[in-house]
Amino acid sequence: MAPKPHRVLFERVSGYADEAAAYVRRRRVSRQPFARLYYRGGRAADHAADSAVGGELFVAAGRLIEVAGKRER
Amino acid sequence: MRLGPGTPAGILAEMADGETNGVIEGGRAGAALAYLGEMSPDLRGAAILAEDGELLAASGRAERWREDAAALFGAADRAEDEPVEQIHIATEQGEVFALRHAGLAAVAVTDRFALASLLFFDMRSILRDLAAGGDGRAGE
Repeated sequence: MAPKPHRVLFERVSGYADEAAAYVRRRRVSRQPFARLYYRGGRAADHAADSAVGGELFVAAGRLIEVAGKRER
Repeated sequence: MRLGPGTPAGILAEMADGETNGVIEGGRAGAALAYLGEMSPDLRGAAILAEDGELLAASGRAERWREDAAALFGAADRAEDEPVEQIHIATEQGEVFALRHAGLAAVAVTDRFALASLLFFDMRSILRDLAAGGDGRAGE
């Protein structure tokens, strides 16, 4: 027996909502603060904020963000 | 003499491709910076530096940009024996991009979630054009 039309609509809406929630969750997880250095040949190295190098990088970045100021919209 | 990567003069001493084509005037660098701003809607501010660490153009407080860019490249170069080519740091307050290319360096600060690959492409493009004698608009 075919499902009732409103049931199809509900399922579609809740499917989209699930997709959107998963997208936001993935984006939040993947865009935590990070410091990434790239070298010749395309090699990259990540440095955690609690490491010595990472700490220096985040401090330097913070100063640059401060000097750049807020963007005029 | 080998310049230390942490010193202003040594910031760019070991760049991958030293192709700078003579002296770059601040006017051309300023035009390149303005063009970068046109291309990158997320940009809050940026600076372009010469091979010896001299600031060629900056949006705002020049001395602070020079010092803070030197500190950033210095910290990055201390991470490993090899000089760094690109830097990308994302924080809650914004993102910082820095790049050495063609004997020059550029530093940019953007809003969060800027498109990193596009911004690096644009930065590389204006540095290449500046080094070749243009004003950064070669790809226009």
